Amino acid sequence: MSVRDFLLTREGLHSWLSRLARDYPLIAPVEEEKGVITFKQVGGPQEIVFDCAPSTLPPKEWFLPSTEELFAFSTAGGGITLQEPPGPKERVLFGLHPCDVRALLALDPVFGGTYPDPYYLGRRKATIIVALSCTKPGPYCFCPAVGGDPVVAAGADLLLTESGSSFAVKAMTSRGEEIIQRYPGHFAPDEEGRGERARQELAGQLAGMFAFLPDLRGVKEFLDGHFELPYWEEVASRCLGCGICTYTCPTCHCFDIFDQSWDGARGLRARCWDSCMFSQFTRMAGGHNPRPTQKERVRNRFLHKLKYHQDRYGLGGCVGCGRCVAKCPVNIDIRRIIGDLKELASHG
Amino acid sequence: MRETARQLLREREVGLVIGYAAGSEAYWVTPAFIKEEAQADRLVWNPFCVNSLAKYLINYHHEPYKVAVVVKGCDSRALVRLLQDNQVQREKVVVIGIPCLGVVDAKAAALKIAPGTRILGASVTDGEFLLQTESGTLSLPRGEALCAKCRYCENPTPVLADTLLAEEVAAEPAANIYAEVREVESWPREKRSAFWDGHFQRCLRCYACRNICPACTCRECVFDQTDPCWVAKAHNLSENTAFHLIRAMHVAGRCVDCGECERACPVNIPLRLLNQKVIKDIKELFGVSTPGSRLDEMPALGMFATEDPDEFN
Ligand code: SF4
Ligand code: SF4
Ligand code: SF4
Ligand code: SF4
Ligand code: SF4
Repeated sequence: MSVRDFLLTREGLHSWLSRLARDYPLIAPVEEEKGVITFKQVGGPQEIVFDCAPSTLPPKEWFLPSTEELFAFSTAGGGITLQEPPGPKERVLFGLHPCDVRALLALDPVFGGTYPDPYYLGRRKATIIVALSCTKPGPYCFCPAVGGDPVVAAGADLLLTESGSSFAVKAMTSRGEEIIQRYPGHFAPDEEGRGERARQELAGQLAGMFAFLPDLRGVKEFLDGHFELPYWEEVASRCLGCGICTYTCPTCHCFDIFDQSWDGARGLRARCWDSCMFSQFTRMAGGHNPRPTQKERVRNRFLHKLKYHQDRYGLGGCVGCGRCVAKCPVNIDIRRIIGDLKELASHG
Repeated sequence: MRETARQLLREREVGLVIGYAAGSEAYWVTPAFIKEEAQADRLVWNPFCVNSLAKYLINYHHEPYKVAVVVKGCDSRALVRLLQDNQVQREKVVVIGIPCLGVVDAKAAALKIAPGTRILGASVTDGEFLLQTESGTLSLPRGEALCAKCRYCENPTPVLADTLLAEEVAAEPAANIYAEVREVESWPREKRSAFWDGHFQRCLRCYACRNICPACTCRECVFDQTDPCWVAKAHNLSENTAFHLIRAMHVAGRCVDCGECERACPVNIPLRLLNQKVIKDIKELFGVSTPGSRLDEMPALGMFATEDPDEFN
């Protein structure tokens, strides 16, 4: 079989992660608070939570920090001097599920298009991604319904798949191969194709384990022709206009730019997450708001997920991680929304 | 409940009934806005009806019709809050009260049921929470399953209602209601500080706690103002702490201890604990009851008494 496949014992994984944590900033899912799993820098494998499907918050913080300094400014000595923060160091992001990797692929064209965003792209380039196949979907996962694959994480540098007492490792990029070469002795070549078999077997097992897979067929086409729908009013009447669904979503990426200065002479410019669900999001100077009510805001969010992203980049805007489903305080559930739209479509 | 809703809509007494409908999982419900009699069958009542629906009334403030709303005991305090703050007019609301044995927040109670298991029914009795599933009945002690607020509920029967849908439920003696607050109070300052810092640094500033809160009804919230900018948009411990302390002070004396802020928080910040501390202090200082439990008792920090022994200085 290909030399890109390797095997790693459980002990081997632990010692490799310990080495990684020494050589790089190693970022992995940790239980920050009872029931709250987030991606944080870790000191070693003992801190890592391996079986979270998926984490409470997505890893997007590491690419699009909730608050990110763009530059500092100062007027000391006349004129204006700008100082950019140092770029990110090379780091390893471990334990992403396939949906989280797919979410990064959905973000890439947003920040890498006509106006390349050096901040996002810098972080992206500095990050080695080690993904972990899911062995059990979370209760609200629906990645297969939006074209995702819970086993194979296209876009990762390395893919680990648990198989019995060991892990199958697949180098998906040349960067992934380099990492493996840098740690000889940990990885045994997988000469009998055990990894491939393990992945196929897992895919077969997982297929029947998703509790609720909405049917997306025809939904985008329906939305293409129906911008105004009374349905959005019904959804909006329940919605609180909070930031939970957008802030926990791995593909939502809106931000706002602001300056902060205490004395006017020195300060910094930063950007910060913003949410299309907030009422001030589209309020312009002068007070006009093109999305005046929650109806327009809710519609925007779901159209972005199910249509706009597809129109712009040919990629789905939702990767089916179910985080917004798990956390919405009023049970606005995108799986149900898809089902309802489908129903509306079939009634013409 | 369905019959009450049908009747109210049929006789055009109200133009809208706000209640609960089945959620996308058997252990969730979602708010329902019923405008037609035929839709009333969507309404449900079960132990998973955790949401407080009272605040939705302010969205219908300017409608010509009356609105009926389903309230549990704690939700009725929220309604009193809105009435006292003139956010809602009494004559425009029909209150459907449900004497309540306690509700279960499936997210917090970590019910040990496999995903996809069909739930056939759920009920709360004096001592137990019972869940009927396809694979048998699960029984949990009441204290383990119920929301924290329900374990020491002061008003299981709504304090205000036009119609009650069940027999009144008596309140249990609530001696331990502030046990957790007392525990935190007993810690040394450094420990308390580290405890809250640990929580506040995690805050996403998603404002779900504010948006769901029946005491937060300002049309333009201080946290949305950019000029003057009271709290910067930046997410960091310092700004987050400012946000939390300002909010706690803004709802001081008006927080009705509904626990909705804590329930909504996606990163489990113990917001009810913070706000309970303020309630406890205000009760001790001013000898008032839990805000919202009496329509004739105005918020301690929102009224004045000429016989107040303290000077303004
Ligand atoms: S999390 Fe739910 S309530 Fe909050 S904005 Fe999103 S849909 Fe609305
Ligand atoms: S919309 Fe919801 S389910 Fe889809 S990617 Fe975002 S958080 Fe996940
Ligand atoms: S959505 Fe799919 S890929 Fe993501 S955690 Fe769930 S099963 Fe895994
Ligand atoms: S602060 Fe929290 S507990 Fe108090 S009224 Fe608001 S939502 Fe309810
Ligand atoms: S709900 Fe939680 S995360 Fe959101 S602003 Fe409030 S405390 Fe912060």
